[in-house]
This record gives sequence, structure tokens and C-alpha cells, in this order.
Amino acid sequence: MNFQFTMQLRAERLKGRRRHLLLIPFLFLLFQILWAFWQLNRATPEELNTGYLLLLHHLPMMNTILLPMMAAVIASRLCDMEIKGDTLKLLYTMQKQTSLFDCKYLAGLKYLIAFTFAQGLLIVGLGTSYHFGESLKWSMLIEHLAVTLSVSAALLAIQQALSLLSASQILPLASGLAGCFLGLFSLFFPPLIARLFIWGYYAAFSSASMDWERNSKIVHYYETPFPTAGFFLFLAAVIIIYLLCRTITARKEV
Amino acid sequence: MMLLRCIKSENQKLRHSLIFPACLVIPVIPAVMGTFNYLQNAGILSRQWYSLWTQHTLFYASFFYAPLIALYCSYLWRLEHQNNNWNVFMTAPVSIPCLYLGKLSVIFRITFLTQLWVGILYVLCGKIIGLSGFAPVDVYFWLLRGTLAAAAIGALQLFLSMVIRSFSVPIGIALVGSVFGMMASNKGLGLYWPYSLMLMGMNSNKTTDVLGGNTLPFILSTLIFFLAFYLTAVQMLRIRDVRT
Repeated sequence: MNFQFTMQLRAERLKGRRRHLLLIPFLFLLFQILWAFWQLNRATPEELNTGYLLLLHHLPMMNTILLPMMAAVIASRLCDMEIKGDTLKLLYTMQKQTSLFDCKYLAGLKYLIAFTFAQGLLIVGLGTSYHFGESLKWSMLIEHLAVTLSVSAALLAIQQALSLLSASQILPLASGLAGCFLGLFSLFFPPLIARLFIWGYYAAFSSASMDWERNSKIVHYYETPFPTAGFFLFLAAVIIIYLLCRTITARKEV
Repeated sequence: MMLLRCIKSENQKLRHSLIFPACLVIPVIPAVMGTFNYLQNAGILSRQWYSLWTQHTLFYASFFYAPLIALYCSYLWRLEHQNNNWNVFMTAPVSIPCLYLGKLSVIFRITFLTQLWVGILYVLCGKIIGLSGFAPVDVYFWLLRGTLAAAAIGALQLFLSMVIRSFSVPIGIALVGSVFGMMASNKGLGLYWPYSLMLMGMNSNKTTDVLGGNTLPFILSTLIFFLAFYLTAVQMLRIRDVRT
């Protein structure tokens, strides 16, 4: 069983060859790098003093706009090859439907892990090159990365299920787009309503916040307690979402 | 005549597709949420119809208008990328500009419908929350300008979806391009970046005209981008061999 699964994972890796999948997270990250330079170059010395908090407050918002679409693009690239080539019939005679879902998911997840890790390096790198006044709290960085990865992982499961269930890729991509919309809007809603939209969870768990004085236009960034219990509850929800998506996809008649 | 036939055949390809539901459903999100946001901040947003416009277009024009057009374009080319349809497409007894313009016309039509729907939703939401009078004429003009800007983005995205065989990658590019567009527009460089044209045209998140009444540079910029992408795509179709 383990050997079979390893072979199926290897098959997914081979299918991904020369499809330049790594370019997708790379381009999204490149954009975030350019954005971070733009943001830091116009920051005041006081803001640079709390540079890590500034980044940990703004990056989750940037993630809310971009990552639902990145997850949709990755899932679509991985699943569309089976839809286009009508290979699902053939594949399901050789491997379980759930196993294909698992392998595709792991194939997509590695790009999300790479992106999250690179974003962590970006934060540390920017702190060193811009000489932020405060020192980096590693616990905050780890919390930020854990939130980024877990929310993206949940979205990837949803997008993958939609991509495998949909003959055309309009539905998954449109829902990815709608997710970006909902996530972004949810940031401006009262917390109770915002919790209804998973796409906005990147910022909902953010452990940095800010105060803005309207008259003096002075921005003050500060640390907020990380909702550990809420996050673990969310992790349980991620597992349920994954299992639900997997079951729905496995029940699809090919 | 040939062009009309091309448009007709492209329309037939779209029958029973999910494009129209997407065109109807996605604009509902910024309309409902923008209105909700307006009601939440009614104390600060005092300019009634204009303030409601800022909330409706805040994210729609800045981030999601271009990816929506990209979605339409990707779907239109996906049909050719599948089942060796490129061979049929390129051997049709029709000139290449007609083939390409056929697709572009369909994109404009769907975009026009999307914009019309955005306008209807705006008026409906305004009336539902009890705004007095009618929506200002400026807003209709901004909607029209936004639709015009779609010419440049339609040509660009159609070109990208033609070259990139993936359905999703051009949509991702449109989203990233739009975020850049917002930054370019904030720096005053909006006329030089195609993805900024829509938010400038629609006067996104502004109550006074961002173009200051001078629409000519905006129209020129749209026209130049449109021609550049259209001519590049047609030239590429002429000289490159197809990959089926």
C-alpha cells in the first residue's frame, strides 16, 4: 500500500514536469517582494522602527487578495490535465479515487509550503536589509506562517474538489475570484460576520494590528494576542473540509 | 459579412456555458458587500449616491474587473486549445483579423452586459437602502468609461489566453496586474499601465472625477493599448504555427 502510494505520488510528480508549476508561487511572491519594497520605501522612520509588525499586519491582507487565486490556479493546473485528457476513467481503474485526490493535493501543497517558507524568508530578509528597530519575535513569525499555510491548505482542498468536479474550469476559477472578493470585503465587516468567510482568515488570525490617527495621519502598529484556541479549532475545521472535499470528489461518477 | 459570421459562431460556442452565470453572480458580491459596508460607515460616507459608488467600485474595479474579463477570454480560447480545434480554427476560410475580432466582439458584448448589470445593481442597492432621487449622471459616464477601458484589457487578456494554453494562469496574471494597476494609479502612472485604465475609467473609490474631466489622454491610452495587443495577436496568428 505504501509502495503503491509512493508510486502514485511519483506519477503526479512526473505529470508536473515541464508544466512550470513553480512559476505560479514564484510570480505571486515576486509581486509581494515588489509590493514590500514599495511599502517600506515610503514608510516613516517610526514605522520602520516597528517594521516587522508593519509587515505582519499588511502581508495577511495581501495574502487575502492573492492567495485564494493562487490556490485556484495551482489546483486548476494540476487537475485540468486530467479533465482535458479525459484520463480519469483510466486512472480510476488503477488507483482509488481518494488516492488520486490525496496525491494531487500533496502535489499542490508542496507549492504552498514553498511559498509560505519563502514569505518567511522575505520577512526576515527585509528586516535585515531595512534595519528594523525592533527585533523579530519568532513566535509571531511562526504563527503568521502557520496561519498562511493552513488557510491556503483549506482553500486548496476546496479548489481541487471544484476543479475535479467541473468539466470546464470556469466554476473553480470564478469561485476563486469570488473568494478573493469575499475575503477582502470580510476584513471590513464585524468579526462575527467576517468569520463566515474562510478566504478572509489570513487576516482574521493576524497577531499584529494598527491604530491610525485621522488628523495627524500617524500609524501605530502593535502586537495583539494570537487566538491559539481559535486557531486549533480552525485546524480541525481544515481537516474536516479536506475530508469532505475528498469524499464528494470520490463519489463523482466518471 | 465574414466578421458577422465569426461573431455568430463564437456566440454559438458560448451557448449553455457557465460564462453568463459567472457574469451575473460575481458582480452581485461587490454590490451586496459594498452596500453593507456603506451602511456600516454611513456616518463618514456622507455623499449618498457618490459614496455608495465608492463602496461598489472599491474592490470591483481595482482588483476584480480585469480577472473577470480574463475568465471570459480564457474560456473562449480554451475551446480552441482542446480537441485539436486549433486546426479547424486556422483552416477556416476566413481572414485572421476576422477570426480574432470575432472573439474580441464577444468579449466586449459580455463585458458590456457585466457593466450594465453592475449599473443596475448600483441603482437597485441605492433604492433599497433608501437613497433619495436618481443616481448622478456622472456615474453612468464613469460606467461607460470603464466599459471602454475593457477594450484594452480584452485585447490584452485575449492575447495572453491565446499564447498561454492554461485556463487559469492568465486569470492569475490579471489579478496581479490589477494590484500593480492600483499602485500605478496611486503614483499617477495609470495611463501607462493597461490594468489601471479600468479603475481610472470607473473612477473607483473616488467621489470626484480622477481624470479631472479630461478624458482624451485616457481614450488615447486605451486605443494605443488596444491596437498594440490586437496587432501583436493577429501578427502572431499569421506567422506562428499552431500547437494542437
